[in-house]
Amino acid sequence: MASSEASELLENGSIKKEMMRHGGRTAHNMSSSSLRKKSDLSLVSKIRVGFLREFLVNLQEVLLGTKLWVLFLAVPFAIVAEYCSFGRAWVFGLSLLGLAPLAERISFLTEQIAFYTGPTVGGLLNATCGNATELIIAIFALIQHKVDVLKCSLLGSVLSNLLLVLGSSLFCGGIVNISKQQKFDRKQADVNSLLLFLGLLCHVLPLMFKFTAEATASATLALSRASCIIMLIAYIAYLVFQLWTHRQLFDAQGEADDDDDDVVSDETPAVGFWSAFVWLLVMTALVALLSEYVVATIEAASDSWGLSVSFISLILLPIVGNAAEHAGAIIFAFKNKLDISLGVALGSATQISMFVVPLTVIASWIIGIRMELGFNLLETSTLALSILVTTLALQDGTSHYMKGLVLVLCYLVIGACFFVFRAPMNSSINLEYKSSQDHVTMRI
Amino acid sequence: MASSEASTELLENGSIKKEMTRHGGRTAHNMSSSSLRKKSDLSLVSKVRVGFLRKFLVNLQEVLLGTKLSVLFLAVPLAIVAEYCSFGRAWVFGLSLLGLAPLAERISFLTEQIAFYTGPTVGGLLNATCGNATELIIAIFALIQHKVDVLKCSLLGSVLSNLLLVLGSSLFCGGIVNISKQQKFDRKQADVNSLLLFLGLSCHVLPLMFKLTGNTSAEATESATLALSRASCIIMLIAYIAYLVFQLWTHRQLFEAKDGEEEDDDVVTDETPAVGFWSAFVWLVVMTALVALLSEYVVATIEAASDSWGLSVSFISLILLPIVGNAAEHAGAIIFAFKNKLDISLGVALGSATQISMFVVPLTVIASWIMGIRMELGFNLLETSALALSILVTTITLQDGTSHYMKGLVLVLCYLVIGACFFVFRAPIRTVMLLKLLWSDVLTLLMNILGPPRLP
Repeated sequence: MASSEASELLENGSIKKEMMRHGGRTAHNMSSSSLRKKSDLSLVSKIRVGFLREFLVNLQEVLLGTKLWVLFLAVPFAIVAEYCSFGRAWVFGLSLLGLAPLAERISFLTEQIAFYTGPTVGGLLNATCGNATELIIAIFALIQHKVDVLKCSLLGSVLSNLLLVLGSSLFCGGIVNISKQQKFDRKQADVNSLLLFLGLLCHVLPLMFKFTAEATASATLALSRASCIIMLIAYIAYLVFQLWTHRQLFDAQGEADDDDDDVVSDETPAVGFWSAFVWLLVMTALVALLSEYVVATIEAASDSWGLSVSFISLILLPIVGNAAEHAGAIIFAFKNKLDISLGVALGSATQISMFVVPLTVIASWIIGIRMELGFNLLETSTLALSILVTTLALQDGTSHYMKGLVLVLCYLVIGACFFVFRAPMNSSINLEYKSSQDHVTMRI
Repeated sequence: MASSEASTELLENGSIKKEMTRHGGRTAHNMSSSSLRKKSDLSLVSKVRVGFLRKFLVNLQEVLLGTKLSVLFLAVPLAIVAEYCSFGRAWVFGLSLLGLAPLAERISFLTEQIAFYTGPTVGGLLNATCGNATELIIAIFALIQHKVDVLKCSLLGSVLSNLLLVLGSSLFCGGIVNISKQQKFDRKQADVNSLLLFLGLSCHVLPLMFKLTGNTSAEATESATLALSRASCIIMLIAYIAYLVFQLWTHRQLFEAKDGEEEDDDVVTDETPAVGFWSAFVWLVVMTALVALLSEYVVATIEAASDSWGLSVSFISLILLPIVGNAAEHAGAIIFAFKNKLDISLGVALGSATQISMFVVPLTVIASWIMGIRMELGFNLLETSALALSILVTTITLQDGTSHYMKGLVLVLCYLVIGACFFVFRAPIRTVMLLKLLWSDVLTLLMNILGPPRLP
């Protein structure tokens, strides 16, 4: 892993030095690493037996190496709850909580493997497995034939990345750095915005198709499948762009000078290659198990908590699944390193929109389920509005807290919308039912 | 009152601008209205010997005659007369409308005078709340008289007219006059306003989409839409308060009127306030009462005017009302564009649009909540798409921080298209028939000139 310096003349004429210290440390990796803590190996190193000590070191490194490790307890509890029939809402909640640390550990292990495989393959691994949780939830929803849950959870991931993660990072960064000027390189934001618009087009056209009289179900299906192939082509091109030809736009910049003490400075990998591989398989299996519980019990949780299924899959699932990345993005915004926050948020959104979604459609094609790309009008318009607002906010390459606040408020409005939409009648809407003639509805 | 201070600020494209904040409370809004003021000629009045009478007359002259629009003040008593002598309701409507223009201008003048005594921040706050007092009062009266359609259309029309007409005509006139110079403005202010307008747009679009996709019962959809509208209004008010904090406190250097060297002779150099604090306060109350009265007439007679003039109610409330209510700001924005001070024109236009969209609209919904009227946020599809298109066009126009007359012309033409659209939308039958006759006349004329069409 060579350290190399490259200088690059950016568009506004300022010269930035880039120190690529670790080849595989993309923005994604760096943000998750903020939640890591140095393992205190003093206790374990007292054990004399060689292989047992190595095993325990490994265990401690992997299981306890994150600030979220306390949530690991939720994992066995969820399994217990499922088999002892505690109550399906409990299974749902515990599985949801258990997914958060697992997602973070998977990203950690992917980074460890990247040390051995080199920067490019590491970037590829990160690009594919970075949103492994969302992909696995989607596959299980597909298997259980809950196409609505699947679509909503993917849409919700995109929305939460674009508005919530990005907005809260910009807001917190703006408040803390209120006297400094906050800049970021807008080229990265531009590429992501373009890809997101392509994804939006692929969602809007099947919907518009349905509104015209001559659309048939098979034609819409064919259109969805063709769009997915095109989206995958775009994603592969994006990977080539990001990892090969224009990688200098995407590397974590400015890490050289201030290295946080809390961040584990991964000069050397913490676990061996095969151990990381085995752990990765174990974690992925656990994620698969918990995702199956989540998808199976979502209706029960919806009934007992009084929220609509679309609200849970659109808002709750993505927030939990993204918790680690979210925290990391905010921490880096505090340190005025907006490029990393943007890389995390926009990169995840692009990945889900252009990779996970087409992959799911192709999986459904193989399984034989008729899954189309379009959402309904409300969800499509929220997606369009979010992409527009985010693109607008990132246009000029600077940031302040108002931008972040507006993005977060947009997310709240969208959340409120899905909260009241299709909410069961016995939930918390308490209005006056005056029979007044004042009410005017504008109906089409 | 704040002293002059100079500060340098490094903008993103590397140019350095000096900002002289001369008067703390002189935002873009105030400065544009001040362009319609004229120096009071006190020679006549100072001949009056009696002390307090002279002071009173000076005060009167300062307030009533201190604007170039003062001739329209005659419309105010005429409107009251017309109402009580039953001239004809269309007359009452027209005269009240004319009388609103100078009153709106005077209210802004008096707010600025009070700002001298209260300091820059409170002055900015006062301006932010009372800057669109006319629209707010019209909205409240429409709500009281249960004309929710008129209310929504007038607010939407204010936003549209600020974004397209005021901004477009300023950019156009400024571009024509300064055709050889480069016209720049600071795009940060435009960015913040655009973001807030998009948030407001989302709050209008989502209830509409909700209604269009609703596959639940009508009752559930209505109650859910109402809950969503009220929640959105609270969110919009939070955004507006944050915007005020941003504009008046933490990032105020982005918004100050940059007026260093050139000072127009016509503009009253308000180093000292022209009227005392209490006199300004009393006049403000009087003017607001007059605006309330005229607004009541306007809202009450709008259907009669629509019938007798042959225009639809939506056209009148969407196009005519806002143009009149905004007349003073409009003129001011154009004048500052002539002087190549685009930041001020933008501040006026965008600031008004943001204020109406994020403050007046939520306030009206909350007022309806208190009164028990079921008012929702969504418009119908036509009006929502007009709003979305205007915000998009304006945002794209202001993206790069420069301007020329084509930008202004396109914005004005967009406004004309929207105006034409609402002219024919729900127009009274006889207007539609009139238009058809007109069009067939035009076709007949063309055929006579060009000869009948020859088929191959």
